[in-house]
Amino acid sequence: MIRFTNVSKSYDSDIVLKDISLSIEKGEFAFLTGPSGVGKTTLLKLVYCAERPDEGEIVVAGWDLKKIKPGTIPFLRRNVGIVFQDFRLLMNKTVFDNVALALRIHDMHPQEIKQYVGDVLKEVKLKHKENIFPQHLSGGEQQRVVIARAMVAKPTVLLADEPTGNLDAETSGAIMKLFRGINAKGTTVLIATHNDSLFHGMGRRVFYLKDARIEKERIE
Amino acid sequence: MRIFLYSVETSLKSLWREKWINLLTVLSISIGLLIISAFATITHNLDSVLKRWSRDFGLVVYLNDGLSKEAEDTLTAFFRHDADISGIKYISKEQALEELRLTLGEQSPVLEGFEDNPLPSSFELTLKQERLDPVFVQRKASEIKRLNGVEEVQYGEKWLSSLNALANIMKVSVVFLGGAVFIAIAFITYSTIKIFFYRRKDEIETLKLLGATRSFIRLPFLLEGLFIGIMAGAVSALGLFGVYSLVMSKVAGFLPSINIVMVPLPLKAYMPAPLAGALMSFLGSFVAVGTIKY
Repeated sequence: MIRFTNVSKSYDSDIVLKDISLSIEKGEFAFLTGPSGVGKTTLLKLVYCAERPDEGEIVVAGWDLKKIKPGTIPFLRRNVGIVFQDFRLLMNKTVFDNVALALRIHDMHPQEIKQYVGDVLKEVKLKHKENIFPQHLSGGEQQRVVIARAMVAKPTVLLADEPTGNLDAETSGAIMKLFRGINAKGTTVLIATHNDSLFHGMGRRVFYLKDARIEKERIE
Repeated sequence: MRIFLYSVETSLKSLWREKWINLLTVLSISIGLLIISAFATITHNLDSVLKRWSRDFGLVVYLNDGLSKEAEDTLTAFFRHDADISGIKYISKEQALEELRLTLGEQSPVLEGFEDNPLPSSFELTLKQERLDPVFVQRKASEIKRLNGVEEVQYGEKWLSSLNALANIMKVSVVFLGGAVFIAIAFITYSTIKIFFYRRKDEIETLKLLGATRSFIRLPFLLEGLFIGIMAGAVSALGLFGVYSLVMSKVAGFLPSINIVMVPLPLKAYMPAPLAGALMSFLGSFVAVGTIKY
């Protein structure tokens, strides 16, 4: 589902990723870990074409990102749900509208949007707050809105960048439960985190990034 | 279609959210449109005066004294076949004298001093409306003057030239002023939409990351520019209607001759402003949104 072959990326003279090769299969739940600033976010950005590699090949859900045209990128991104580290919620839109936006982009019928958003908000336990604006929600609630938005269009791949960054242990547990549920429905999930408690004992593949390279890969 | 409706909804919400800056933009554009509409109206009125005056405009062709009946008939036939001439009126020497006598009124006895009728017979020719261009009329007059039996050709060349020159100056002014105002309108909308675009930069970035296409992102901004232009055009059309009606009703009270130069404006005269405003605002927003890069 996601394949990197000898991918390198640098910003000016700063090498962020060097000779990265990895493969994540369809329906897999994998983690990407390493200290802050090691290039986890850059690697995720390469998956959804927010960054382009200097070298190497990337294939995501059948799209060869080396050959993809700018006008096709939106269609790739519709297959990739993203949980951003900084949430990227639109503060002038309600919870419902933030989640519905992902479907409006798909040109879905308003009745279907209502149905889909209602269902996903129930799943993340925020149905009762659908008319609230994000700034009135707690960090954990905002994170759940972002997850709802990422999963509502039923993407084939879901990426999450530090999804439990500022959350307490209990809320983090609830968030991880949501990801497991999404994965159980067949979505490939890749989570970037520096918090190793998230993947310990889960029996999932973990890619360790260090000094711009994949230092090791093992099942935790 | 659903994306279009969503874009309409988004742009209307944005118009309301940013109502003060939008109001300022609408007023600025409508003032520009009102100025150009006022100029166009003055030109329209001047054109109407010219047309009304030109209805009575004609060439007077004086004939040689003692011209035979056959030669006069030849000239009549010639004028009748001329495609530029719409009316022919023959005035015999006797009719001319009678007309002069009527014009002189009480002073007509002065004509008794002449032994013979001193006035020549003549033709009064009316030219077709579309032919009332000073250069053409002058050429036509020279052409007719060269005909056998024609002594002299007279017409109001000074009046025709002055009025035509004035109308042309007005038309050129409208074109130049219109061009300047339209560029200004596009620039005003460009600035407003650019501000909105920058204010919503984060939102646009998020939309791009969620998989929105260029048209999905651009359409609300383009519609917003279009709505601003239409509103400004409507305001300026209402302003023109108000000012014009006021002048026609109030000024006519103490200056009745105003009705000679001011004609009621047809409904279609109010249409160009909103259309031009909409078009230029749309262009302004189109440039402001620019290319969205992925």
